Order: sequence, then C-alpha cells, then structure tokens
Amino acid sequence: MTKAGKREKRKYGKPGGKTYVFRLFVAGNESNSAQARVNLARICEEHIKGRYKIDAVDVLKDATAAHKNNVLVTPTLILIKPLPKVAVLGNLNDTRQVLAALRLTGDER
Amino acid sequence: MATAKRRAQGKEAGGPQKKKKGLAKVSTGIAGLDLVLGGGLPAGRVTLLSGGPGSGKSMIGLQCLIHGAGDGQPGILVMFEERAAAVRQNAWSWGWDLARLEKKNKVHLMDARLDPESVISGEFSIKGLLAILDQRIKAMGAKLILIDAADALLHLYDNPMRERRELYALHEWLLDRKLTAIMTVKTVPQGEAPSRYAFMDFMADCVIHVDQRVTAQITTRRLRVIKYRGSGYGRNEYPFIIDESGINIIPITSNVLQHRPPGPKVSSGQAWLDDVLAGGYKCGTSILIAGTAGAGKTTLACLFSRAACLRGERVLYLNFEESAESMVSNMLSPGLALQPLIKTGTLAVRSYLPEAMGIEEHLFHAMKDLDEFQPQHVVVDAISACKRMGSEQAAFEYLMRILNVCKERGITCIYINQTSGLDIVAEISGIGVSSIIDTILLLRHHPVGGAVVRQLIVMKSRGSKHSEQFHEFRITDRGMDLVKT
Repeated sequence: MTKAGKREKRKYGKPGGKTYVFRLFVAGNESNSAQARVNLARICEEHIKGRYKIDAVDVLKDATAAHKNNVLVTPTLILIKPLPKVAVLGNLNDTRQVLAALRLTGDER
Repeated sequence: MATAKRRAQGKEAGGPQKKKKGLAKVSTGIAGLDLVLGGGLPAGRVTLLSGGPGSGKSMIGLQCLIHGAGDGQPGILVMFEERAAAVRQNAWSWGWDLARLEKKNKVHLMDARLDPESVISGEFSIKGLLAILDQRIKAMGAKLILIDAADALLHLYDNPMRERRELYALHEWLLDRKLTAIMTVKTVPQGEAPSRYAFMDFMADCVIHVDQRVTAQITTRRLRVIKYRGSGYGRNEYPFIIDESGINIIPITSNVLQHRPPGPKVSSGQAWLDDVLAGGYKCGTSILIAGTAGAGKTTLACLFSRAACLRGERVLYLNFEESAESMVSNMLSPGLALQPLIKTGTLAVRSYLPEAMGIEEHLFHAMKDLDEFQPQHVVVDAISACKRMGSEQAAFEYLMRILNVCKERGITCIYINQTSGLDIVAEISGIGVSSIIDTILLLRHHPVGGAVVRQLIVMKSRGSKHSEQFHEFRITDRGMDLVKT
C-alpha cells in the first residue's frame, strides 16, 4: 500500500490543525457501501469538522485504483493522511472501533 | 516436459472413459488426471481441490493453469496466502516460466493477501477483488481461474453464515463469467472435526481430494475424485508423484479387462525346456518362475531374454535384486553374454532399489521404461523384493498394474519369485498373483542320496499341454542342461 501514497501529493492542510485525508472504496450503491459513506461523513463531522477530505472511489467504475491500493473488499476506508496509513474494512458501523483505528480518540475532540 | 507423450499414453489407455458429448471439458495437461476425469475439468464450472498441507493441490492447480496458458486458455491465479514472487520461483523450479507467460498476457498473478494490519469494522464483501478480476478477465480474455487457498479469504468472516453467503456469491460470479475455475481449500486430516467448508463440496460441480500419507515409512500421494456432476469418472484412489516434470498420475489401466489374446509360442531359450512346455512360452502371457535361492531362476529368465534378443525382440529387465553390472557379470558363469545385447539395444536392464520409493514412483518409472523402450517381453526380478516397496499390498498393486499393462499391450511378463523354504509349493503363489499367472515354473533343490540336485516342474500352463514330471537339470557354462535319467 505504499504506492498509493505517491498519488496523494496535493495539500489540503490548513495551518493549525491536522488535516485528515481519506479514500473510501465502495462498490456502487450496495448497502454496506452506502452505510460506510454515511458513517464516515458522520464521524468526520463530529470529530474533525472542516479538517477532512473524503475521496470516494467506486471499484465497479475504477478497478485500477482498487488494484493499485490492493483493495479486495468493499467498503474499505484508507486513512492517507496523517501517516501512518490505516485501512479499515467494513461498513464502519462500530464507531468506537473506527475512531480507535483512525486515532481520533480523546485529544482530537 | 513430455506432455505430448503422456497425452498419447492417456489416449491409449482411454478405454470406457471416453469424452462424453454435452459436457465440455478442459484438459488439465496431466494425462493421468484427464483420464480419471474422463477428459478434463468441467468447462465454465467450478472444481474444488481439497487437501492437507503439502498434499500437492496448489501444484496441480498451477500445472492446469500453465497448461491452459499454452493451450489457448489464458488464466488468472488469485493467491490468498502466497506471494507472487514465491509462486514464480516455485514454478521456475519445475521448469515453468511464469514471468514469460505473464509478459505474454497468458497468465496473471493476483496477490490477494490482505494487509494483516487492516482493522475490520462491520460487514463487507469481496466486490473490490471481483471488480479488479473483472477488469483483468476482460483485458486478457481469461478462461481459467485458479483461486488458491480460498479458505484464507473466508477466515475474514467471523460468521459461518456470511462465509457461506459470500462463497455462494463468488460461485455465482464465476459461473456468470463462464470461467473454468479451480479453488483449492485446505482440509484437516481425517478423524478431526468435519471441515467447516464441507458445504463447498456440495456447491462445486467437481470435487477432487488429494492427500499424502505415510505407510511403513514410505510416503505416498493419492488423489480421489469425490464427485463430478454430469460426467463419469474413475472412482478409485489414484497414486501420484511429483517429479521434475510436475504432477504425474500413474496411468490407470482401464476398468475392464482388455487383455490381448496370447500370441504364438516362442522358445524359452533351451530346447529341452521347450519340449517340456510343448513348444515354449506363449507371447503376451504371464510366467512365474518360483524357487529357492540359487535354484537358477535368474539364469532361466536370462536364457529366455537372450534367446528373444537374438531373435531381434526387445526385453526389459526390471531388477530389484542387483545392479545391471553385477547381473551381467554373474550371467557369464552359465555362459550368457548379456553385454552385447545391451549394446545393440535389444536388452535393457533397469535396477531399482525397492525401498527407495513408494509404489507409485516405482510404477511411474516402470511405465516410463515400458513407453520408452517398447519391449516385447518384461522380466521382473524378483517379486519377493517388491514387498520392500512398503507392504505386501503395495507389492501386489505394483505387480498387478505391470501385469495388466503388459497384457493390454501383448507383452510377455516374466515374474521371478524367491521362495525361502524347501516346502515351496505353499509359497510359490507369492503375493497372491498366481491366479492370474498363465504359466508357473517351479525350481527346487532336491536331496538325492548324499547330494542335492536341481529340478524343474511346470505347475501350470494355461491353454497349453505341458509335462507333469520333475526334470533334473544342471547349470553349466553353456546354460541349463537337462540331466537324462
């Protein structure tokens, strides 16, 4: 998954706070993918409002991107920035677990 | 690898398992396996290949894929456990150049190992993988797909119901794309808890199980087709070996007796013995020469071999007792010069150490010798030594297979059996093969006065008259001479 990082050269950072860059791989509008979109948007709004960017990729339309990022299951959420990268598989229903995986617990609030 | 030859061999032993109309099949590139499967894997359907660790399942799959790549059937290998580089390296050690096939777009290796650091939160599906595969299938026109260690993927799901649902979805996906698919799955050794993937056996159209077992310190690999929807298949367990050319399944003789009728009589190599046998041995029959150590069994077989070679017929001598050199030198004593016959290529002596390998490897070597040398006559010296291939059962299987092949091809088969005691009548049968032997010659040492003389008697000679007397003979420097009494 190291190759994927090279594509992400643009800077979204605002001075002051850490900016979070996500890439969410979904498969069309299947229910798990739809849930993941909603869950991710909610989590971001609640915890890092104004400091995040979500790049959604539909694997059914862009299989190349899925291949490059080694995305085998959908939905897959990849935290690209800040490093280190993290991948979370699934519909993100378990908010506490997602927060822990994305290092958004405690001090970020 | 000698694929063409093996294929020809497969056809020859084809028998009743001819390709059926209706169900299209894809050759596996493994002649023996095609024969067991009645032509190959079901085209456009899913075949499950299950087996324990090291059983050879991935190797079988890989060989099918590589064969397909060279046969107008580009394929994709999806690996859930191994690294692509490791697979390339393994293939290379069997002489398969995967990298070249990849460059030519005939094979695509897809590393589908999940990052172990990934966090799982909630439900998901393998749509990503399928989307990537869809793209590859279109790009290369793939017809085959090998999903190696499919069970590893399913370990992601903590819920057996979802495992099953996902697998059914994958199955549907494969069928929709009309891919000829092979899925390998690990199984636990028998006797332990039933496999949690048992339902896969019901789902797939063709299920093949391979295993590796150790009996009497000799390892054998076996393969069994458990089911094959819409097709006949060989229902036995078939031994197979992995050698430098890949998977070799011992060509199975067909399940009906297709033995050729015996041919004309040929000389045994000694005029007096021809009289005893009312003309000699019949070509294409089986002959057992039994007797105690030193009674002259090997000499008798070599006399026949020499006579046949001098007539221009080829003799294959499978020796499990001594090396070719030592046999050649020992036979000089009764005046038999074998070296010139070996030189002219009419006699081939192959020496094998029985305990060096399991019966399937022995069989494989014997079949290879038979195919390459195309003999008219075969001598096996001695069947008593074949027990050292593992067990009496193994020896019996070995001898039966050789005998069947010989009978199908009209090859004369001479078995030598060493008996231990003087009461040899009870022992001669040796490993239970005597009932299928056409002619039995018994050699013994018989005490007469203060000395021991050598005697020969014909115990049986199917379809031919023969003497019923004991005949006394001597081994001289001109062969075996009858002692007139």
